[in-house]
Amino acid sequence: MAMKKFINDPLNLTSELLEGFQIAYGDKIAVQSEKLIVRVNPKDQNKVAIVTLGGAGHEPALSGFVGEGMLDVSVVGDIFAAPGPPKVLEALRMMNREAGILFVVLNHAGDVMSANMAMEMAEKEGIKLKMILTHEDIAGGPDAAEEDKRGLVGCVPLYKIAGAAAEAGKSLDEVYEIAERFNNNMATLAVAMNSATHPSTGDVLFELPDDEMEIGMGQHGEPGTGPTKILSADDTAKVMATSLLNAIKAEQGDKLLVLMNGAGATTLMELFIVLGGVKKVIDEKGMTIATSRVGEFLTVQEMAGFQMFIAKMDDELLELWKAPCDTPYMTVN
Amino acid sequence: MSNTIGKKEIIAMIVGAVEKINANHQMLSQLDSATGDGDHGTTMLRSMKAVSETIESSTDTAVKDMLYNIGWAIMSADGGSTGPLLGSFFMGMSESVSDTGMDCGAVAEMIAAGINKMHKQSRAQIGDKTMMDAMLPAMETLNNADKTGSISEALASAAKAAADGAEATTEMTAKFGRARNLGDRVLGHRDPGAVSISLIFKGFCEGLDS
Repeated sequence: MAMKKFINDPLNLTSELLEGFQIAYGDKIAVQSEKLIVRVNPKDQNKVAIVTLGGAGHEPALSGFVGEGMLDVSVVGDIFAAPGPPKVLEALRMMNREAGILFVVLNHAGDVMSANMAMEMAEKEGIKLKMILTHEDIAGGPDAAEEDKRGLVGCVPLYKIAGAAAEAGKSLDEVYEIAERFNNNMATLAVAMNSATHPSTGDVLFELPDDEMEIGMGQHGEPGTGPTKILSADDTAKVMATSLLNAIKAEQGDKLLVLMNGAGATTLMELFIVLGGVKKVIDEKGMTIATSRVGEFLTVQEMAGFQMFIAKMDDELLELWKAPCDTPYMTVN
Repeated sequence: MSNTIGKKEIIAMIVGAVEKINANHQMLSQLDSATGDGDHGTTMLRSMKAVSETIESSTDTAVKDMLYNIGWAIMSADGGSTGPLLGSFFMGMSESVSDTGMDCGAVAEMIAAGINKMHKQSRAQIGDKTMMDAMLPAMETLNNADKTGSISEALASAAKAAADGAEATTEMTAKFGRARNLGDRVLGHRDPGAVSISLIFKGFCEGLDS
């Protein structure tokens, strides 16, 4: 099947997309050294820097969240492929400061390998940093192998919370403690309705029959709990939200952050309808949605489906979530 | 042929590996379409370009530094897990290499140093359907070779062991990487990473003999 995408050279996608990204948001971000996305107005040297890495093809993630109050540097890889350790090390050197660096890594094999190697080299050079590994995918259940607890959209609210803590002038230990607390109280579950094509190769990532969906499908077509017949929005919301609330051990009275992240081809209309279903589940359990966002944060090309994210919040986390930020794809005034 | 080698022969070996991968990159991508996301061939092609460029700029460089620079260049090619793994192999070899006078035992030690460095990045063992299924049998074959014997013959045996190891991945399900997600669907397909490694050893062998 021919690939239907507006592209030029399949081997030159990343640099071309970054070129457009810079044209669109040159007032907030700049592309440096080909693959490093940095803030136009850098953060004070005496504040903790936030650095992340990941493959391209998931726009606006990850680089769409570089800016005041969130990320300082995003190291971009090729399509669905981690950037190499040298580029990551370059970013860590660039952000080297006495205040230190919080290094946010999503749990995917290539990302972790590059991050570990770059971190080892950075530490040898005396660069002060701490790593947070996001691994909030609950598709494999609580006993899943570590490799299967993948980092999904949860990195985005984590950038927000850690970024706000860093802007507030907290120390690296404090920023790390806050980010790790959030990390330990968040969960994501994905659902896929239709596949996507790999934009470099034209290969279909996975196949699903017309009348089926798959809960737990990861952001590169990693399989979930097996295909099922398509459920209504409310039934889908109920199955997914119940699993997520169990995973974070949410209890009556808990205040929650809920994100609905479209995978690329699912409409905002559907995401809003599902969010309504999520609220019913949360209301029934006597919990509250303290804050919520619906949109496309981390996409998988033209995949249809979404990632549902829920985190248990405390007052400090909520305050940081609501603090100002100014990035291409998330702004709080 | 003399029973020791140095920088000139090591370059010949690596050039042989580059040529072998370049000639087979489409086959590697096809294998990856069955078990991953179909880009292993282009990733390897990009990595090999980085290797060639490093060799070209290494005329006056000690072989130790050249191998280290090759590893760094491969890692810079942004190849997901392939970069850190294959890059580590060359960086590891750089820790156990000499510009002249390497006998078969020294060559075996150099390859083992590369594989050990690589193994620090991956916990994969034989049977996990990864590069290690080709790497570890090649290393064992070299370690068992006569330390003062023919390097060419030892490398030929190692290449054979790597090819057999890659072939054996056909019957395996994957324990690491994206292929792991496909479960039984990868049965019947060779692991592209293991095939790449077997091609590299075959290339080492042909490069040395050329």
